[in-house]
Amino acid sequence: MTDKTLLAIENVSISLPPGADRPFAIEDVSLTVNRNEIVCLVGESGSGKSMTAHAILRLLPERTGVAQGSISFNGNDIAKADEPTMRKLRGGAISMIFQEPLSALNPLARVGQQIAESIITHTKPAPSREAVDARVQELIRDVGLPDPVALARSFPFQLSGGQRQRIMIAMAMANNPALLLADEPTTALDVTTQKQILALVKKLQSERGMGVLLITHDFGVVADVADRVVVMRNGRVVEQGTVDEVLRNPKDDYTKSLIAAVPGARSLTRADRKITGEPLLDAVGLNKTFITKQGMFLPPRRTDAVQNISLGLKARETVAIVGESGSGKSTLGRLIMRLIEPDTGSVHFSGADLLAQRGEKLRQMRRKIQIVFQDPFAALDPRQKVGDAIAGGPIAYGTPSKEAMADAKRLLARVGLQESAANRYPHEFSGGQRQRICIARALALKPSVLVADEAVSALDVSVQAQVLQLLAELREEMNLAMIFITHDLRVAAEIADRIVVMRRGEIVEQGETQKIFQNPSDAYTRALLDAIPGRAMFAGPGARQAEAASA
Amino acid sequence: MSTLKSFLRHPTGMIGLLVLLAVVLLAVSAPWLFPDDPWDMVGAPFQPPLSEGLWLGSDMLGRDVAAGIAHGARISLIIGVISTLTALIIGVTIGAIAGYFGGKVDEVMMRITELFQTIPGFILAILLVATLGPKISNVIFAIGIVSWPPLARLTRAEFMRLRGREFVQAAVCQGQRPLTVVLRRILPNAISPIIVTGSLAVASAILIESALSFMGLGDPNLMSWGFMIGAARTVIRQAWWMSVFPGLAILLTVLAINLVGEGLNDTLNPRISRKR
Repeated sequence: MTDKTLLAIENVSISLPPGADRPFAIEDVSLTVNRNEIVCLVGESGSGKSMTAHAILRLLPERTGVAQGSISFNGNDIAKADEPTMRKLRGGAISMIFQEPLSALNPLARVGQQIAESIITHTKPAPSREAVDARVQELIRDVGLPDPVALARSFPFQLSGGQRQRIMIAMAMANNPALLLADEPTTALDVTTQKQILALVKKLQSERGMGVLLITHDFGVVADVADRVVVMRNGRVVEQGTVDEVLRNPKDDYTKSLIAAVPGARSLTRADRKITGEPLLDAVGLNKTFITKQGMFLPPRRTDAVQNISLGLKARETVAIVGESGSGKSTLGRLIMRLIEPDTGSVHFSGADLLAQRGEKLRQMRRKIQIVFQDPFAALDPRQKVGDAIAGGPIAYGTPSKEAMADAKRLLARVGLQESAANRYPHEFSGGQRQRICIARALALKPSVLVADEAVSALDVSVQAQVLQLLAELREEMNLAMIFITHDLRVAAEIADRIVVMRRGEIVEQGETQKIFQNPSDAYTRALLDAIPGRAMFAGPGARQAEAASA
Repeated sequence: MSTLKSFLRHPTGMIGLLVLLAVVLLAVSAPWLFPDDPWDMVGAPFQPPLSEGLWLGSDMLGRDVAAGIAHGARISLIIGVISTLTALIIGVTIGAIAGYFGGKVDEVMMRITELFQTIPGFILAILLVATLGPKISNVIFAIGIVSWPPLARLTRAEFMRLRGREFVQAAVCQGQRPLTVVLRRILPNAISPIIVTGSLAVASAILIESALSFMGLGDPNLMSWGFMIGAARTVIRQAWWMSVFPGLAILLTVLAINLVGEGLNDTLNPRISRKR
């Protein structure tokens, strides 16, 4: 160990309670973080990357614990340190930021107070109020937030996701930590906000010479910020090295497959899908405003979720609707599905206005347009067997149940699951498998339009790539037109023929996928493209071709 | 089937079920165990427990306390179950309609519910029984009328929560009819808390019935636990057994029903039952 080494984890194993799917959450993990460097810990969900970080501060769930190995911080072994020592370290010399800033902040306390709390806890004797206030404002300014005085007085719910994460960072910086643990700090954020937060972490890190252990599942993020990379799988470290070594020249097969699965890493050589003809589904002038009452004396809050949107979808075409959260893209999808009633507008579909249908007529039209939701855990009824969930649609339209069940089994096999899955409950499946079930359910009705609402956003990159591949195959087999709603331009590039960019309820730009990537005309589209993590390394397909063209 | 199995492995639920089964058995076998009318005078008055032929003693008119408890169990259980079913039918229907459709329908339904909630329940029950006459059917009706509002509010809240869930929306998109969506998708997922509250309602129905009988508003032709305690209250210092045993009967039954309800809640939820 050298002076440079800040944190050294050596041969650490964490035991899981008996009855878990494996005896150790992480096994024989060794890694180091030096002063003044960012180490990225990469892996899929369940790889043990969060456990590793939580073990450093001993924030492990009950009935798990460090079974062997040592964790040394500044040369002291903290794996066996007593609780008062650990308490001093937490938020002091080692601090942590989490994935979801809304649940990490106390909803009932002003954010300034929460930052002050972490200062007061770690300063003895207690500093004066003025000193604390001044320090809080300095911290808020340091994390790039405007008007620190007013901001310190706001509650977490009054801030945006990005602002909240900045507050979390300010809190973590309160006692000038030597080591920052960041557990997926940008996963819940929009891509443009993600870029800003990553830049902020990087700036703070280099200003203060901190060591940062950043957990992520996104190799794009790794390419942007990391000095060194540690790749984990099933609780073991499979590869580590500098960012250039690992990303440009991965040795382990698993690392290779992860890098290959990064959306946008593949080139966009796609056969012309020959999409012509009249639009199959034609939405004209859709408007939806949400009005929320704010209490007796405040005026109701108006949110123009969708403003005068028109969108055509040809048979077999895939249109991606891309935007950040709050852009109205999901509302648009739900309007087309008639899950939300629009204020004005019409959706023409197979010779009728979908929005004018009522009762039985509407029910008959529904079978032609199906949806796959974002969260595969919420989208399946926990009390319904998978087979029944898939067969339920056809049965509702009069298919005999035996036939529907046989179809359901065939579909399960088609989406890559075993036919026996039909007799099992959703909780027995992983996220990726559940999403396959949801796709099978949507396709059981043989729709002509499939709305995929962030259908791959909740999945790990490698699973994401498989599900995208499945969707691409199925749309050819079943002649599906798809509306693919996503916040991720890289994913959109993988599958879409055409991209529609939305912002604050309006369409700011639309066009062929290649055109959007190669010469975006709108400033916002350009900002979105710039914010794609790892663009330097995993240049989007369009950009790569643009480079080739200019060379 | 697997629900039954995991319920059998639920310790407190099983204790509750056993006690409850004992009470049900007592109620069912009352005519054979105590073939005489519980109102008959069968011995000397004020006999303490374990007197000859009178395990639990006799009351001031020489009636058998044990016979009263056995026959009273029938009344308590019948009233508890049927009045709760009445409350469930009213409450779940109103709550489901309000929660599923929302908007104006919800407004109207909730104002009606609030109307019933603002009237003190027990006083309304007394009023109803006093007006309609102390018959068992009127007692059941009165208890049902005062116990449905919490069930309606609970059902409404569950329906509002589940209506926006993606699996419910998926069922709508699959073309399932509204009634199917409500009965097959939403209700089964909302049923656990409703069952638990329902079981509590059985217990509180038994308590309301006892209280009504205590005040002399029970069916005069039927022996009940509440009536026994009410009759015994003036002589509680001379003859403790006359109020203690029916009191214990109420306590055990109510407790058993609560334990069963809790056990059901744990086992009906697949994720909780899996952890055991």
